Amino acid sequence: MGFCREIIRRFFWGPVLCFAVAVGQPSGMPGSSGTSTQYAGNLACRSCHPAASLQFFRNPHSNAAKASRGVSENIGCESCHGPGKAHVEAKGGKATIVAFSDLSASRVLDACLRCHWKEQNRANIRRSAHSQANITCTNCHSIHRSATPRFLLARQQTEVCYSCHNDVRAQFSQPVRHRVNEGFMKCSDCHNPHGTESPTWKMGRHPQLVDSGLQNEQPCLKCHTDKRGPFLYEHAALRVDGCESCHVSHGSPNARLLKRPAVFTLCLECHNGAGSFGRQADGIALQSATHNMADPRYRNCTTCHIRVHGSNGDRTFLR
Amino acid sequence: MRRLLLFLLPLLSPAQPVVSPTPEPAGSVLGERLGNYSVTNSWELGYRFRTVDGSLDKYRSDVNFGNGIRLLGGSLGIHSREGKGAFFDELLLEVRGLGNDPYQFSSLRLQKNVWYRYDLLWRSNEFVNPALAIAGGEHALYTNRQMQDHDLTVLPQSKLRFRLGFSNNGQSGSGLSTGQWFDSRGDEFTYSTQIRRTQREYRMGGDFVLRKFKFSISRGWEIFKDDTRYGVPLASEGASAEDAVTLTSLRRDEPVRGTTPYWRAHLHSEVAAWFTIQARFTHSDGRRNFLFNEFAVGTDRFGADRSRQVLLSGTGRRPVSTGSLTLTWHPGSVFTLINQTAFHNTRMDGDGQYAEINGSLAALSLVSFQNLGIRTLSNATDASWQIRKWAGIFGNYQLSDRRVRSIEILDLAIPSNVAPTEQTNRQRAGTAGFRLQPIKPLRITLGAEVGRNDRPFYATSDKNYHALNARAQYRTARWNLTSGYQSFRNTNSTSLFLHSSTGRSWSASGGWTVAKNLQLDAGYSYMHWDALTGLAYFSNFSLVDQDRSYYVSNIHTLHAGAQWQLRKRADVYVGYVRTQDRGDGRATALSVPIQSQYLLTPATTATFAAAQVFPLSYQAPSARLSVILRPNLRWNVGWQYYAYREMLNAWQDYSAHTGFVSLSYSF
Repeated sequence: MGFCREIIRRFFWGPVLCFAVAVGQPSGMPGSSGTSTQYAGNLACRSCHPAASLQFFRNPHSNAAKASRGVSENIGCESCHGPGKAHVEAKGGKATIVAFSDLSASRVLDACLRCHWKEQNRANIRRSAHSQANITCTNCHSIHRSATPRFLLARQQTEVCYSCHNDVRAQFSQPVRHRVNEGFMKCSDCHNPHGTESPTWKMGRHPQLVDSGLQNEQPCLKCHTDKRGPFLYEHAALRVDGCESCHVSHGSPNARLLKRPAVFTLCLECHNGAGSFGRQADGIALQSATHNMADPRYRNCTTCHIRVHGSNGDRTFLR
Repeated sequence: MRRLLLFLLPLLSPAQPVVSPTPEPAGSVLGERLGNYSVTNSWELGYRFRTVDGSLDKYRSDVNFGNGIRLLGGSLGIHSREGKGAFFDELLLEVRGLGNDPYQFSSLRLQKNVWYRYDLLWRSNEFVNPALAIAGGEHALYTNRQMQDHDLTVLPQSKLRFRLGFSNNGQSGSGLSTGQWFDSRGDEFTYSTQIRRTQREYRMGGDFVLRKFKFSISRGWEIFKDDTRYGVPLASEGASAEDAVTLTSLRRDEPVRGTTPYWRAHLHSEVAAWFTIQARFTHSDGRRNFLFNEFAVGTDRFGADRSRQVLLSGTGRRPVSTGSLTLTWHPGSVFTLINQTAFHNTRMDGDGQYAEINGSLAALSLVSFQNLGIRTLSNATDASWQIRKWAGIFGNYQLSDRRVRSIEILDLAIPSNVAPTEQTNRQRAGTAGFRLQPIKPLRITLGAEVGRNDRPFYATSDKNYHALNARAQYRTARWNLTSGYQSFRNTNSTSLFLHSSTGRSWSASGGWTVAKNLQLDAGYSYMHWDALTGLAYFSNFSLVDQDRSYYVSNIHTLHAGAQWQLRKRADVYVGYVRTQDRGDGRATALSVPIQSQYLLTPATTATFAAAQVFPLSYQAPSARLSVILRPNLRWNVGWQYYAYREMLNAWQDYSAHTGFVSLSYSF
């Protein structure tokens, strides 16, 4: 009962308070400029912006217009840029229309989410690290001059990500790496730039745009299927703290993306019997006394412990 | 100025680590009209070549481009102009490396407005890993992995839509593995493996939108099959010349079959323009049925004839449930407050039957496992406030509670000898930061995180950590300058041991569009990592429990490139990438390390000294020329050189010239 009370105290009142504060707040139309309420229609836009409109049939946004039986004001240029009659009468100008280049990051987000809120992979966008840093939709996507026809990215995906994450570009320049530069993989295979759920590994630490795999586990297991298990004998490191206990995910100088060049140091750093850690604070098990570290043959732990990711036949992963 | 640019060209260029395919398409980007459709396409067909000096295995592990004719790249786009195509309104096809490249990729999108949308992704990877740093170089893999994902959405623009999907992930090939026979003091042997694994996933679901609520539900089945065969030892003698153990015959079959059915439900609502509610629940029930049959014949360490058969069968299970509730309050566009409560529960258990026949002695054990359970509850609150148009602050506080329970059988001969354990860990972590945009092109973000765990599971887990993240970016139509700094420090101490790790990185990069036909790009990154850890191990049957391991890595990475269009007739690209890990600056693997004060046991200093650093250099200059022969035809040639050097050993070093000659054509 005490535990339940603690859970309620810690985890219940926060959401309730948040909800209570929210009730009764005024509503606002995201993305509305407030400059005009009268629409001009797509034809008026075309006469001054031929480059944007003539090739617009290739744009995925045109699908909404093509498919809709509704009024054109809700599906044409003015569905994003707002009512344009004042803009036409003023013969242009950013002050009389919703110009995304002048909107604040949150206004851009609100405007795009008017339609895109329905996509499940954008459900966490407001709490994402990108939103916190005011990185919004138009920082990565170019609606009218995109380099990729499918997701309207301003450049190829890796270049979009590298343009800010230069340190990640350096990691993918290591000799041992995942094949992102070669085109076999993309950043979005493992990351969701629009925000992710709380992860189910490593204490559910605040998500850093790392997506989840099939069983809400690390995205590594989407491809490395033989490491998923379930196994009778799980290597708890993998399940409790995740693959990053031993591996670095982007690139490394070390074989198999390991954190250390020699595998025995990696193993011994945890298997040192240090108190307060382990299953009951009694330390992670020491190696056997028959293992003589002065003899090089015992420094290749995985020569014998070949099932380090989990085993069905041996609790020490020998088979 | 022109001389200066010519001088800089080899140093600066858009960093494109792989020189093919040629990014400039052939033909008009506007496309050609074909009936009611507009068509764009470009295909690059060429010959790829390579020469390698040094370790071919390491080259194949790192780069792996070979010789032969390839469809280096291609794209096809067909769009209906009015959105009223007979069978489809949009077709997008993209391919890369088809033929025999180690990295092949193709994607297809086909859609008809209102009615359907189909996405296909197909990938193939030739994976080579000699793994010289693992198991004495005896674990090798030469495998091919092919993955495909199919997704069909019916009525994609409707309020009620249906989804169907299928994925296949197959891995096959050969490899080398190792094992130890016939007891825990036996010798190690290398044997071959034939790898054959597939994972298939079938999924279906639907989305329904009612007013401001969207409800999604998905049902899926993952089916896993592993028919890898093991056996055929490379030699009857083991790794140790002094050991008398021999292995004359080995056969091991280890088939695994499993399914993971799952449910996912998701509710999302923009209740009002200022309030969002989101709930999510998933449940999966993974199951693996396994069989293990190993038969080994040889002599034991006393020289006596031995045969051993091990039979294992059973089932492993892992039900996983997760859920979350997220409430978001965002009045206006200035303030956002988000609270998310999430839970995650995993239980891994199973049962198995173990039988071992040693010569004429047989033993049979029936064991039930209740191995591991992890339950995590977390609650996180995020706040973001845009104080001024040019300044904002953000923060996050997270509380997580994790309980790890396990019941482990300690001795197969005595199944009742179990060890139930439980450990609970609580994490409190907070983030705070600010963002500035003093002028429109300049963004500055600084964030710091502090976290405390009261009982982490591992000596190397996060316990007392703090992190700093800073980034500044200046971006205009012509300039893109970025600089970033990150640091992470974790200290995890107990009465006898100390684990502390420090990671720092800073980077700077810049892109400059000098003119419409000339772009320059360059960047530098420095990554530092060190980890100091207490060790305990046995040396000549004596416990050494006060030693330490100290690992240091100092990686410098430089990239530079230039893209130049010559009189609208040709495109030139030159680039250079260099990575160098300087380690701790020592001259030889066993020379006394600079941080020798961390090694407390002189007798084992040499053991760990060689494993503390791994200095190396890796560089890849490249160049490419693409000439327009006709409006729809290009001639391309490219070259890329790879050089890998280890500073303390030379046995994996290689250098390789790779290149291609190709034609890009638009039909």
